[in-house]
Amino acid sequence: MITATQQSDWFLHHLSQSAGDLPGRGVDWLDSLRSDARASIAQLPVLNRQQEAWRYTSIEPLLQQRFITAAADIGAFKGLDISRWRIAGLDADRLVFVNGRLLPWLSTVAGLPQGVTMGSLRTALSTDPGQLASWFDQHSGRSGNLFTALNSALINDGALIRIGKEVVLEKPLELIYLNPGREHSLLVQPRNLVILEQGSEATLVERFVGSEASTGFNNHLTEIQLSMGASLDHYRLQDESDSSFHLSSIFLSQDELSRYRGTHLSFGGSWARTDFQAVLKQPGAVCEINGLYTVGDQQLNDFHLRIHHAAPGCISRERFKGILHGKGRAVFDGHIIVDQDAQGSDAQLSNDNLMLTRSAEVDTKPQLEIYADDVKCSHGTTVGEIDPAQIYYLRSRGIDKERALSMLSLGFAAAIGNSIKSDPLREAAERRLTQKLDNQADIAGVEHNHA
Amino acid sequence: MLSIINLSVAIEEKTILNGVNLEIGAGEVHAIMGPNGSGKSTLSHVLAGREGYQVSGGTVSLDGRDLLSMETEARAHAGVFLGMQYPVELPGVNNMTFMRESLNAVRRARGEPELDAPAFLRRVREQAKLVGLDPALLKRSVNEGFSGGEKKRNEILQMAMLEPKLAILDETDSGLDIDALRVIAGGVNQLRTADRSIIVITHYQRLLDYIEPDYVHVLLDGRIARSGDKQLALQLEERGYGWVEEDAA
Repeated sequence: MITATQQSDWFLHHLSQSAGDLPGRGVDWLDSLRSDARASIAQLPVLNRQQEAWRYTSIEPLLQQRFITAAADIGAFKGLDISRWRIAGLDADRLVFVNGRLLPWLSTVAGLPQGVTMGSLRTALSTDPGQLASWFDQHSGRSGNLFTALNSALINDGALIRIGKEVVLEKPLELIYLNPGREHSLLVQPRNLVILEQGSEATLVERFVGSEASTGFNNHLTEIQLSMGASLDHYRLQDESDSSFHLSSIFLSQDELSRYRGTHLSFGGSWARTDFQAVLKQPGAVCEINGLYTVGDQQLNDFHLRIHHAAPGCISRERFKGILHGKGRAVFDGHIIVDQDAQGSDAQLSNDNLMLTRSAEVDTKPQLEIYADDVKCSHGTTVGEIDPAQIYYLRSRGIDKERALSMLSLGFAAAIGNSIKSDPLREAAERRLTQKLDNQADIAGVEHNHA
Repeated sequence: MLSIINLSVAIEEKTILNGVNLEIGAGEVHAIMGPNGSGKSTLSHVLAGREGYQVSGGTVSLDGRDLLSMETEARAHAGVFLGMQYPVELPGVNNMTFMRESLNAVRRARGEPELDAPAFLRRVREQAKLVGLDPALLKRSVNEGFSGGEKKRNEILQMAMLEPKLAILDETDSGLDIDALRVIAGGVNQLRTADRSIIVITHYQRLLDYIEPDYVHVLLDGRIARSGDKQLALQLEERGYGWVEEDAA
């Protein structure tokens, strides 16, 4: 049991680790943003399981670790070969972050059209912080917890993406976050700001990858602002090592008639959580999120969604699926809030879990909080096993039991995978999921002897 | 080829098959008929290797190999194919991918080279035509949203792909209209070869008008109560199973 004091020490310890090398020191708004966040760490409530948002997810495994802040010098990665982490055939403009820092020589953004910015946040904060003042921390600051405060207090690097008015990007933008595992137990805290101006369209791919040995903590924060009529296809693949720690806090703000389509895949991590908060601020915004997670022994995966319908006539769709094996643990919390004047809201949420073993465990909790009277809202969750008749069918066709289980699990996941429009990306995700499932010797031991 | 000797089987302590004896030679077609609950489907699942059945006595051998000690998938590799009465739906599992996995698993086990994608595609398209399966169904999830007839065509297509030694067709005729029955029976007849044996399980004589059996057996209360040629099926159609029952008693 970790006490409140120990928890506070943990945050202060990691706060004090910051190198003196943060960009934009002396810039008033940035200084006060950092110091406010720093101050809030002393004031924010400690996280514990009495809080609804942390009821099923213990942060103790995380707090038992001490992480080291990544070294400031990126020169050590000069010769780094990232080819094994590339997806063949995925033609994208790309930024590569290693241990949280952008490596310009691995990034390829030369062909971006007029009106599009894609680059290092650190560089922007160092050279032209003024352009960011009005955008920064508009959303995350208000709903922060200790982890987002820790990220804000030490803002250093990340991706700054800005798509100008009416610009339609054909080519996806890709962000690769790599933990090469040369040093273990690093704390990395990328910070992204993604702004789509009026009527613009883009596809953003984010991939978290690393060596199998990595035991670091990725405390990631992304803010996304979609202006009127903007449209973002957003793919996230969290595929870090099974012994790493991962927290993604995503804040999405949507203006009138904007459209967000997200597919969030979470496969790695011993402790992995995504906090996704969307505010549909103006009428006619559409937010669709598909998600897939898989966990095995020594793994916890947690998705927390908070979809806030703050204006009339918005649509949200959340469809999440989980595949659990071994002693895997998963948590799903889908919370939809419909304000009193958000009439005509349309929200649907589902969470389906496939349990490949009896020892796996999931806590799934949909919540609808509705203050308007003219709304269409529904939610549903299921927890089930593979039908033995399906395994029998495949085996009777010559397919062995392990492969049968893996085929059926992939079939269960297919509806989510099919929401990925890019062929190379979808195929890469399917391959990864197949490997994840095939590596699990324990699923072969499932009892399927019911007639 | 297939030799069933004194086979007794129970499900949860309840005896279903009670001393079945059946010899099936290479290239022969045997029809097994019988009323509901007589053990027809149990027999087919025991041969195919479904779990949950207790074999309390007897032996089954395929070309001299003990079938009952083999894993379900190993039986498929050895050439057993069961066309199911109720083929399950496999949501999200692509039909074509499934058939290719299946065929290549069987080929690997037989020491044959796997078929590559183009070769497989050619073959599955050819065979789909043979059983009258809409090629669009190959791109869908296995059996998902298929009509009863489409499911049965899909079963026969798999049989055609896997080229089994022993094919068991469990009530392939149920739920089929007369046109579908004709097409499917035509497909089966094309698969009749000198070294392939077929067991046709059915309630009705009608299917046997299209797939002519060499032998007809009546399964009653878990045993073969009577055997004969195709005339027996006609007699059953006329007189019902009660007649065999009385006769057997």
